[in-house]
Amino acid sequence: MSATLQTTVAKPSASTEAEGEVVQRVEVDASCRIPVLFFFSSAICWLLLGSLFGFLASWKMHNPGILDDWSWLTWGRVRVAHLNMVAYGWASQAGIGTGLWLMSRLCRAPLRAPGVTVVAGIFWNIGVTVGIVGILAGHSQSIEWLEFPAYATPLLFVAYALIGIWAVLMFVNRRPGHVYVSQWYLLAAFLWFPWLYGTANVLMQAFPLKGVTYGAVNWWYAHNVLGLWFTPIGLASAYYMIPKVIGRPVHSYYLSALGFWTLALFYSWNGMHHLIGGPFPIWLITASVVASFMMLIPVLTVAINHHMTMRGHFGLLASSPTLRFTVFGAMVYTLVSLQGVTMAIPVWNKITHFTHYTVGHAHLGMYGFFTMTMFGAMYYIVPRLVGCEWRSPLMIKWHFWLSAYGIIFMVASLSLGGFLQGSYLLDKDYTFKQIVEGTLGFLQLRSVSGIALACAHLVFAFHFVLMLLRLGRKGGEATYFNSPETGA
Amino acid sequence: MIPPVFLILLVGFGLAASAVGAIYWAARNGQFRELDRGARSIFDEGEPVGQPTDQVFRKRVRAPKAS
Repeated sequence: MSATLQTTVAKPSASTEAEGEVVQRVEVDASCRIPVLFFFSSAICWLLLGSLFGFLASWKMHNPGILDDWSWLTWGRVRVAHLNMVAYGWASQAGIGTGLWLMSRLCRAPLRAPGVTVVAGIFWNIGVTVGIVGILAGHSQSIEWLEFPAYATPLLFVAYALIGIWAVLMFVNRRPGHVYVSQWYLLAAFLWFPWLYGTANVLMQAFPLKGVTYGAVNWWYAHNVLGLWFTPIGLASAYYMIPKVIGRPVHSYYLSALGFWTLALFYSWNGMHHLIGGPFPIWLITASVVASFMMLIPVLTVAINHHMTMRGHFGLLASSPTLRFTVFGAMVYTLVSLQGVTMAIPVWNKITHFTHYTVGHAHLGMYGFFTMTMFGAMYYIVPRLVGCEWRSPLMIKWHFWLSAYGIIFMVASLSLGGFLQGSYLLDKDYTFKQIVEGTLGFLQLRSVSGIALACAHLVFAFHFVLMLLRLGRKGGEATYFNSPETGA
Repeated sequence: MIPPVFLILLVGFGLAASAVGAIYWAARNGQFRELDRGARSIFDEGEPVGQPTDQVFRKRVRAPKAS
């Protein structure tokens, strides 16, 4: 299990006796090139737009008058547009791109008819664009995480169905052999998403339920889309990238299997903890709080596993961008999940619910964990698709540190501000106005950290465009990294 | 017509059954046996265990001449 680690850099000549595998990898990469690059490119476009809207929404929190004359840019629409851009434009497409590539590589089978996934991707982008324009025009639905107007939903569903079917077909046509844990996560995610999205839309838009069940379905969807769509893709990537980059198998494969199946078993019960204190059957909330605690099992198995895999190899964080982003994401995954468990405790929930603390938690999960993991995956995948190496380690470092400090400051300011906000809201001696004014400093700090994140994204997008234009460093085969002479 | 809620419930049960089927298949297929080999399945002779694969920041080692 504990293989000794060579410090030499991989050389293409090592592949002579392994011609077959190399050809296989090259085939897989070639078949994924167009669709995966398409998904990554459009994801990055949405990331930039989403950052802009997020920044605008953040700025409006402490300067409400700004750009308020035009109804399209009022806070209520801008915030929702930001959420949907980053969730469905950026995160989902980054996840689909990574998922398709990983699935193809792990199935050791090329992506068949890649054109179909590109068409699906085009439709997905049209769907997101229609949805965002609809939201800005004021057609937003008052359903959290499902704000896209009803006319955008079928487009998204059909586009997704094509992608999902392709991923599942790839799994069915895989080369015989072991099914790696990442494949389980990916297959599950590709099957769970249509079930979640379809069910929520049928029960909330096509044939709306009434009363408390409506709220139940809303939070069942909103929480599960994080835990059963984004989380498994992020974990699939981490379970592949970390062992692969450091060249050492996962510490305990038993734990990884346990982690997957317990996630599958417990996660879908969690959503009702968003309704603690609400007019809602108490047994449902209690069951959900219990399930939230059961999540300690999958979270800790993943945490222990990744830590033990990394142990003794933390030095490699200095040399590999993929590893740096992925390990950051994996560590934040543990942190954000444990934080989520504490937030399901009713006494703590009473303080943090409906405050900026929750917003901080959401950003920690979607950015600190998922987005960082996706950046890591992109740093690994893109060179293999375009055939040249990332141009500048310096730009990658700027990207990493701006992102890392940005998200740390953002979550810190929101958490502290939110905690104080929640505490004072429970204290009758303070007026609402005083409390709102008290949060302003924290919100300004959040806007500043948002600028850092936006800068990080600009650097990354520029670097990515250089790669698309094949202006990266040349040399060696795409599957291997050569070492630059200067690390910058 | 069957109310949509029941249809959704039926699909839900189907999905749950497929999860049970998946874990049954995995156990029968030997996916939970020889776990060590499973962990090594992402490595092969071209990219073996013990060989890091992503070294952009690496200093000191000179890059081989570009072909």
